[in-house]
Amino acid sequence: MNRMGREKIKDLSFFLFPMILMILFFYIIPLVMTVYTSFTPLRNWNVERYLFEFVGLYNYERLLYMFQHDPTFKAVILTTVVFLGITLVINVLGGLVLALATFFINERIASGFRLLWLLPRMSPIAVYSLVWYYFFHGSEIGTLNSILMKLGVISQPIPWGQIIPWGAWSILIFVNGLVGVSFGMIVFTSALNQIPRELIIAARVDGASTWDISRKILIPLMRWHILYVLTWQFLSLLTTFHHIFLLVQWNLINRDYGTTLALYVFNTAFGRGEQDQGLAAAAAVILSIVGIIGGYLTLKLLKFEKMMKKPRGDF
Amino acid sequence: MVEITLKGITKRFGNFLALDNINLKINDREFMALLGPSGSGKSTLLYTIAGIYRPTRGRIYFDDRDVTDIPPKDRNVGLVFQNWALYPHMTVFENIAFPLELRKVPRDEIERKVREVAKMLHIENLLHRYPWQLSGGQQQRVAIARALVKEPDVLLLDEPLSNLDTLLRLEVRAELKRLQKELGITAVYVTHDQAEALAMADRIAVIKEGKILQVGTPNEVYYKPKYKFVGWFLGNPPMNFVEAEVEGDYLRVYSSRIPVPSHYREIIEKLGIKEVILGFRPHDAQIVKGVGDGLLGEVYSFEPLGREQIVTISLDGVFIKVFAPEEESFTFGEKVTVEIREDRIILFDKEKEVALEYLYKD
Repeated sequence: MNRMGREKIKDLSFFLFPMILMILFFYIIPLVMTVYTSFTPLRNWNVERYLFEFVGLYNYERLLYMFQHDPTFKAVILTTVVFLGITLVINVLGGLVLALATFFINERIASGFRLLWLLPRMSPIAVYSLVWYYFFHGSEIGTLNSILMKLGVISQPIPWGQIIPWGAWSILIFVNGLVGVSFGMIVFTSALNQIPRELIIAARVDGASTWDISRKILIPLMRWHILYVLTWQFLSLLTTFHHIFLLVQWNLINRDYGTTLALYVFNTAFGRGEQDQGLAAAAAVILSIVGIIGGYLTLKLLKFEKMMKKPRGDF
Repeated sequence: MVEITLKGITKRFGNFLALDNINLKINDREFMALLGPSGSGKSTLLYTIAGIYRPTRGRIYFDDRDVTDIPPKDRNVGLVFQNWALYPHMTVFENIAFPLELRKVPRDEIERKVREVAKMLHIENLLHRYPWQLSGGQQQRVAIARALVKEPDVLLLDEPLSNLDTLLRLEVRAELKRLQKELGITAVYVTHDQAEALAMADRIAVIKEGKILQVGTPNEVYYKPKYKFVGWFLGNPPMNFVEAEVEGDYLRVYSSRIPVPSHYREIIEKLGIKEVILGFRPHDAQIVKGVGDGLLGEVYSFEPLGREQIVTISLDGVFIKVFAPEEESFTFGEKVTVEIREDRIILFDKEKEVALEYLYKD
């Protein structure tokens, strides 16, 4: 290697080492440990006894078997798919609709409106979950139940979260969807503000309606942002479990139809009762593979490599 | 092809008065320039004509039709922007076709009309390209094509040349002027570039702080400015202004004395005015070496420009600029006399900064 090359490596490593260390400690090492653990029968954190015992694909075979025969695990997988699909659509479309709606109205009203939609994201997870816990509570203390009873729509309180599967799913999707919408809204709003106003004025003068402008000009110009939000939300919904954990823990929603794969991994590894880290690790590996494939597909779809242009000048 | 009449147009943005009682008539097939410094309200006026802004007060007529409350799309205007506002995700063809698509024009007719207008603007070989693949001049042509394809009654242009480089601007200037006359379309052209307005327009409306100061042919506004501001804003270098005092039939300008121009004698007498501002254009005077009849001063600096040179002369510390032929040579500090072409002198009221003849008429 010539001198220039060595200098370059030196510079590069200086600037990159904090991030490389971060990735190493918080991503690579845990990933390797997870993959390793998935090949051991580790349980109840009995490291001395199980960590160095190798069981091959046993945990994966168990997952496969459960997937075929265990109704609880089937419910988890089904819940994950339904939750991910519907919440993703709500997040992206909701964010898009909100961004467009606030774009076309008076700026002062629009920013107040946006702030309102940011509240779910700003409030602490426990507080936010608690709000909806009381709202959907299955007894007469639940806000929804008491409103409906006062209005005379129902005579007995309904345990919404225990109606399976759609009652539990609806709450799951509603609570998480409300948090996610604001992310898309912010990204899309800033994308819209980057679009020169003249494009919209020109279209208006040519006779375009708000719908025409949104469909033919604004949305095509936000293509990258839409795909970006789609990828980001897909990955974050795949791994989110905070709100879901609390809602299940507080018994607001049905345990089987309220648990996604991410929460299942958490519960299996750290939850109450018998903990099975080997199985949890195998499920986590599956989850990671799904995430990697999904992320890779969308990056391909985004033509991400096209966005990464080589910098100009000599380096 | 319409005649545009603006009656008492006032536009407020909150507390800010953007347009103040604008009255203007733009004739059929006329090329009208709205000229003014930035923030003068000229673009606001253009967008009011387009219907993007609604006037706070006043009416707008296209011929006899009151269009004040009619939305932009029903006014049949073509709009060209400073940044051209081409849709980046559409090809040139799609950009030009867009207004027709919105009007639900049949596909084959769109095809025909787009090709026709593209041919007129010499961009027929660029139709499949995207805006980012075009040069500034080509993008500008596409923007004009898009404005013209729907055969508008009025073409509105908002500083369409200011994003082009100087040479290209001169070229497009000539072409645009020709195009407007060939199409016989009523055109309103917003610019802050006085040379552009003088070169292209049939008439110029000079706007300052939301008010129209003067409307007239390029010659009128250039040679007969109604306000000191108009004289200063048009022409490069701008009009010279020096303070003068009336002393009988003479004007005292610092240490010099020149006769009152004959076209002002009667006016000055009637107004009984004492203090005036004398204005003249840099090319309406000549420099004579030594002390003679005229404004006495000394050469401060001189800048050869090729065909001619600009000489800056200090009249007792006040600078004026005068054109001189290229072959003449000057030295710094040289004593000279400036002889002004008498019939081109404009006298302004010192307080109101209005040309005396207008003061007299009012």
